[in-house]
Parts: sequence; C-alpha cells; structure tokens
Amino acid sequence: MRTRNKLLHCALALAIGTALSGPFTANAMDASDAPDLITIDSLTNLYGPVEFDHAMHADLADCALCHHHTTGIPAQDPNCLRCHATSGEADTVACADCHTADRFNKDYLESLDDPMLYHVDKPGLKGAYHINCIGCHVEVGAPSGCQDCHVMNDSGQQMFKTGDYAPDPQDHNNGGH
Amino acid sequence: MKKTVSRRAFLKGGLAGTVAATTLLNSKSSEAAGSFEGYPEGMGVLVDLTRCVGCRSCEAACNLEQGLPEPAKPFDDYSVFDEIKHGEKRRTDETRYTVVNSYDVPGMEHPLFRKVQCNHCQEPACLTSCFVNAYTKTPEGAVIYNSKVCVGCRTCMVACPFYIPTFKYSSAFDPKIMKCIFCYDTRLKDGLPPACVEACPQEALTFGKRSDMIEAGRQRIKMNPDKYVDHIYGEHEVGGTAWMYLSSAPFDKVGFDTHVPKEPILNSVKDFLSIVPMVLTIWPGLFVGFHLLATRKDAAKKIEEEKKEVKS
Amino acid sequence: MKIFSKQRPEIPIADHVRPDGTAWSLKEKLFLGLTPGEYMQQFFRNPVNWLMIAVFAVGVPLLLQRYIYGLGAVTHGSNDYPWGLFLGFGLFGMVPLSASGFMLGTTVELFGRKDFKPIERLALLNGLLGYFFAVLFLEVDLGMPWRLPYPMFVSLGPAAVLFLVAWHVATYLSVQVAEVLPAFFEWIGWLKGKRAIRKYVLALTVAGIILSTLHQGALGALFTYAPSKLHPLWLSVNFQWIHFFCSSIFAGLSMVIVASTLINRFASWRCDDNFKNNLDYITIGLGKGCSYALITYLVIKIVAVAHDQEWAYLLTGWGSYFILEMVLAVIIPMFLFAIGCRNKQVGMIRFAALLAVLGIVWNRLNTALFCFNWQIYQEVPHWKEVWITFTIFALYFLTYRFIVYRLPIVYTWKGEK
Repeated sequence: MRTRNKLLHCALALAIGTALSGPFTANAMDASDAPDLITIDSLTNLYGPVEFDHAMHADLADCALCHHHTTGIPAQDPNCLRCHATSGEADTVACADCHTADRFNKDYLESLDDPMLYHVDKPGLKGAYHINCIGCHVEVGAPSGCQDCHVMNDSGQQMFKTGDYAPDPQDHNNGGH
Repeated sequence: MKKTVSRRAFLKGGLAGTVAATTLLNSKSSEAAGSFEGYPEGMGVLVDLTRCVGCRSCEAACNLEQGLPEPAKPFDDYSVFDEIKHGEKRRTDETRYTVVNSYDVPGMEHPLFRKVQCNHCQEPACLTSCFVNAYTKTPEGAVIYNSKVCVGCRTCMVACPFYIPTFKYSSAFDPKIMKCIFCYDTRLKDGLPPACVEACPQEALTFGKRSDMIEAGRQRIKMNPDKYVDHIYGEHEVGGTAWMYLSSAPFDKVGFDTHVPKEPILNSVKDFLSIVPMVLTIWPGLFVGFHLLATRKDAAKKIEEEKKEVKS
Repeated sequence: MKIFSKQRPEIPIADHVRPDGTAWSLKEKLFLGLTPGEYMQQFFRNPVNWLMIAVFAVGVPLLLQRYIYGLGAVTHGSNDYPWGLFLGFGLFGMVPLSASGFMLGTTVELFGRKDFKPIERLALLNGLLGYFFAVLFLEVDLGMPWRLPYPMFVSLGPAAVLFLVAWHVATYLSVQVAEVLPAFFEWIGWLKGKRAIRKYVLALTVAGIILSTLHQGALGALFTYAPSKLHPLWLSVNFQWIHFFCSSIFAGLSMVIVASTLINRFASWRCDDNFKNNLDYITIGLGKGCSYALITYLVIKIVAVAHDQEWAYLLTGWGSYFILEMVLAVIIPMFLFAIGCRNKQVGMIRFAALLAVLGIVWNRLNTALFCFNWQIYQEVPHWKEVWITFTIFALYFLTYRFIVYRLPIVYTWKGEK
C-alpha cells in the first residue's frame, strides 16, 4: 500500500513540478531518495532523540512544504525570487545544511552584516524544526506538546525541575512568593 | 563627527553643581555620559509572540543560569498560566527574572504568549533615577546592577515603566534588587546570547544587534502584513528598548502598556531638573534683597542715629 | 505638671537658679525639677502615656522583626508598590508638615516680622523634628539602612532627583540643628555657642529657603519618574514640584498652628505669657498665610488640569475622588482660614489648620499609594506596617513633648541669654 501511494505521490509531484517550472525540474528529487526514518538528536542534552518518520510525512505533504526550494522545485517566495529567479537547483537538501545549529554565535551574527545578504532572519536549526513542525501540527491537529515528540531525559528534568526533581508542594503551600 | 554635550552630561553637571562638588564630574559616573540614544553596537532581542508556544523553556533556562531558587511548580506545569494575584497575571519577582503569560485574544483560536523580562532600555529609568549610580548600561546593551552600592530605596522600581526591578524583601541583611541582567556576566559580555534565547525552541526570541532586530522586525511585518500588527513594541517606547516585541494582536490585548511615553522617562523629570540651577543662583540674591527691603526702616533709623552721633 | 507648678513657685524651670539662688543641676532640669519618684508618678497619671506604652508594646517587637527578618516580614513586600506607608506618610507626609521652620525663619529673620517671634522657635523645632523623623522613617524603609551615607560619600548618582533630596534634606537638617541649638545652649547655659550661631542667622535662613524650595519640590518631582503609573490628576509632569512646594507652605504653617494649640491647651504650665498672649494674634497671621497659600495651590492645581487637558478624567470615579480631595483638603480649609481671619475667630482657624494638616497627609498618601498604579490594583498596607508607622510617629510625639517641656521653646529663658 505504502509503496504504491508513494509512487503515485511522487509521480504527481513530478507532474506538477514539470508543469509549473519547466526546465529546472529535470532532475528534481523524490521522497524515496531520503531515508524513511531520520533520527534527530540535536537536543539530546535535555531530551531523548526524535525518531522522525520521514516517509510518513512525505506521504502527507508536499516536499516543498518543509524543504522549500531544495528538492528541485524552484523558489516560490517573492522575497527569494528577487535574487533566485534564475538560480539553479540547491546543492543540498538537509535542514542542517542551511539552518545553522549555532544561530546566535558571534561569527554568524557578524556574517549577517553583509549588505548583499537578505537571509538575515533565517531561523537556526532548532527554530526551523519547531516552527515548521509545530506550525503544521497545530494546524492539522497533530500532537503538539513538547513531550509528544521528545521525551525529557534526566538533565531535562533537572532543568525543568520536574519528574524526579519536582519541587515539594509542601515547601510552597503559600502559593508562590 | 560633530561633538555635542549630551543631555545627560549637562544634567549631571547642573545637579553636581548643587552640592558644589566639582570633583563629581571626574568621578566614574561621567563615563556613562556618552550618547543617550544607546550604544550603536548594542545587542537586542526580538520577541515574536506569534512564534511563542508557551513551553516555559526560557523560564527554566533562566532559573538555572542565574541560580535562582526552586520554583513552586515545575517549569513544565502549565497551570501557572491560570494564576491570578491582585487581578494580575504572573510577574517577575525575587525568584524569577522572567515569566511567560498566556492571553486569550477574542477572535483567535489559540492563546498568545508573552514573555516578560527586563527590556533593557536605551536610556533606562532605573539608571537615571538611581542616586547611588548602582545601574550601568553596558555597551553590549545590558542594564546591569551593582548590589554593593545599593541602599535599597527602591526608586528604580517606582521609575521602571515595565515593573521589572524586584526587591529581595525576604532578606534583612542582604537585600538587593533582583532583575534580568541579559545574562551579562555569564554570556552577553562574551558575545553569547542569553540563556532564554538559547533555550527557546521556536526561535520566538531572536538575538542580534538591536539595529538588525528592528530591521528583521520590519521585514517580518512587511512580508506578512496580515499576520502582524504594524508596530514593533520597544522601537520607540520610553526612548527605545533592547528587547522588542512583534504581535499578531493589538499590544494592549496581550498585556503591554501602550500608554508609556514615547521618550525616555528622564524627559519628564527634566522640567524640575532645569529649575535647580535657577533656584540656586537666583534665590540668595532675591531673598537677601527682600530682607534689605523689609528691614529698610530699621536700617534708615540706624543710619540717622549714626549721623547724629557723628554730628555730636 | 499642672498640679506641681501650682504648688511650687520654682516649677517650671525657666532659669539656671532657683528663686533661693541655688543652681539647678542638669539632672534636675531633665526631671523638670521633680524628684524621680514624682516624675514617674505624674508620668503614669497621664492617660496619653498609657496609650504610648500600648503602641510601643506591640510596635517595638514589630520593629525588631523588621530588622531581623526583613521588610517582607512586616509589609506585603510588594514589587508593584515599592513605597508604602513608611515613605508615603513618613517621608512624603512629614516633610511638608515640617516646612514651618523655613517659613517662620523667613518671616521673622528675613522679613523682620518680629511680631511672630514668640512662635519662631516652635516652628523651628517642629521643622527639625519633622525632618529628623522623616529620616528615621526612611531608615525603617531602606533595604540597607546602614548604607544611608552612600549617596553622599560612597557612590554618587548626581543626575537623580533623589540625590538632590538626600543632599538637601541632610544639609537642611544641619541648618535646622543650628537654628534650634541656641535654645539648647540657653538651657544648658553655654552662651558662647549661642552667640557664635547668632552671627549666621541670616545665612542659615537663606540657605533654609533654597534647600526647602528644592527638596520640597524634589519630593514631588520624584513622581515624575512614574508618568505612566500615577493617576494623571495627581501627577503634573510640568508642575509637580511647584504643587509640592506650594502645598508645603500651608502644610507647615498649619502644623505649627496645630502644635501650638495642643501645647497651649495641654502644656499651658510650660507656656509663658509672651507666648500665651500673642498666640491668638499669631494664629490669625499664620491663618492668613495659609489661606493665601491654599488659593495659590488651588489655582495651580486647576492650571495643571487645564495644561494637561485632563478635564475628562474629572468625570470618572478617580475624578470624583480628586474633587473630594480638593474640596475637603483645599477649598474648605481655605474658606475657613479666610473667614476665621476676617472675623478673628481663632477657633475656626485652628480647625481649618487641622483639616489642612490631615488634607496634606491625605494628598501625599494619594500620590504615593492610593492613586499610584491606578490602572492595576490598589494595595492595602499590612497591619504591621500601619502599626510601625504609628510607633515611629509616637516616638516623634514623645520627643517633641520632651523637648517642649524643657527647652525654652514656648517660654523665654529668664536667666542669662
């Protein structure tokens, strides 16, 4: 069932892509090129890794919904088109290749001073994941609580003062300070 | 570059004269007498209410980074959004430098969340009202506080239009002002973002140069005119703040005071400060003159008597 | 004391020597010429003292609690209302009530109105004690009371209004000590000191006017730091300092009327004929001053409302409260003063003075507490905060009475001067 669906879906995407954008989509990517399951472990200091079912998500949505213009479909955003109307296909497809994990480090912030650069407000990796995922999850009614996707580990519980580290309600029975 | 005497330097000069302490101008305080529009390279944070999901990660990160006391409830307990005291939602206090509050906005499906912390004003009211110079606006943009010179008069709390400085009332021997310092000591001075920004999963908090944050805010509004209210709260409020906000609901519906002046708080104190040198210079002559006028009959009598004495 | 002073011709003490020529010792002067036994006897006969004992019995432990466990133990420890009764009443209320010192100093020494001389010392003492206890209230309220000299000597913030208040109150306090010292020197009999100060009276008086204008005004200007917190009817960014200064004039004069009335009524044994016989005349003179100050104050209050275009606020609930304050605390005393002066009804003037004193305290509490944070919630002070405020005020009363009973304030020293 799944394979047939996927095939159908990709064929459809290809067809639409071809119709919409002519020559640039000649070697557009397809969801089957990606692994079915992706482990996202960039927040392991506080949470267990997230097993992201890429295949399932690819079934539900257009690649471009998450991947913007990196899967062969050209940029749609009028802001991007100002420069990238005739740009070729992106070299990479992984989120982390564009969305830096260390969004606010000094060097990166200084690199934004380049007057030729318009990507000054591009979210970092964590922001990109969450804005994309939660935005859609809330819209379609999919789970959107923090621990629906990632389970807090011990140091997470320590930071959030929860679970094993939860405050004793006896100490705070006057309702806070 | 044209150099002009900044207003703060001028006011300082005027007041310092009141105690005839010329040495004051050479004191450390005059270092702060730079441009009162804030440091050009100062950092800022753009808070985008449309992105915040109310996860309270920033509160947890702040508590850990600043070594604050254990909270009454875990940071993943969302019942705190219903806490009401004196008819008001949660506020910062000596145990928490930042809080997130939830606002139900009519016509919106989901609540909006607003994070509260020190806004790190360009020309801070706490700083200008402090008579022991306990506050400093650092070139990095943080408003920091020195508890070693504070006497605990709490004028800064009265002056802050955002109700940010809080007092450690629980201590008799080591009370002090407790407020967000932009993680200055541990992070900002090394060019790192504050702990809350780093913890935010949604990048609802964007850290960068204040001037870049204003640009980013304008761009977001321009790209999504239907999504945002066309205003960056903090760009001009009380003369500008380092922390600024974007919202999809009118700002007064999500807990912001939209009646704060658009200029620094110090400007409303100026009227009084400008009369000080006048009183000091005019009063002595004026009242001695009154005295001579009022007692001129006595004086005339005395002169007549003296004349008589000379004659005889 | 009334009984003793009737029985013994040498009491009350007004000279260094008894009628028989023997000198009073300092201890005898302190005990008002009574034996310690007699002194205690009259002390416990007075119901006011029992009230004081009751106030202190609760108040002193509360004060200890404040200094051991912090301000949070005796107040609500509010971050929204950083200033409570200690400053709202103790500083913002006591300081205008103590403007009497510079007012009568100016009248007598500067304008040469020697007819007000019999009350000058009372006015100076009233000023000194008011300021001293305002500082004491501040010491209860400050988070770190042991750092009181910091703004002067350790870390200076000269661009702040409070810096001005601190320096001017401190300097003015010293000026007032100097102004009251001659009475003390007469009493202990050190005339050299008195003569030394006498030389500087004019300079001290002018310094008093300058410092008073500025710090009375500065206390008002402190609230201009909170333009978005204090209700616009109680805050005029442009005129706040002059509102506070102008109202301190009638506040100080009224306080002297109230104090002199109480002293004349309850300590008449201590007053000499010069004081008693002139008091009605002086009261009328002071009342006249009050009514002029009140009409000026009323006009500038209205000017401020007009200047800031705040007429619409008058129609709200806050507006009604504002009008109530204006009527009870300004307009009624103003007319009572005017009518009393015109018809020489001293009783009416005294009542007007009482109204004005209460009115000014009410105004300062409105400014500092009740109309502060008008857009959020109103804070009711903790009962312990109220009690401590009464305790310090009781201490003020006792000190006041202690000095008036002894030093030549309301009587003229008969010995060497």
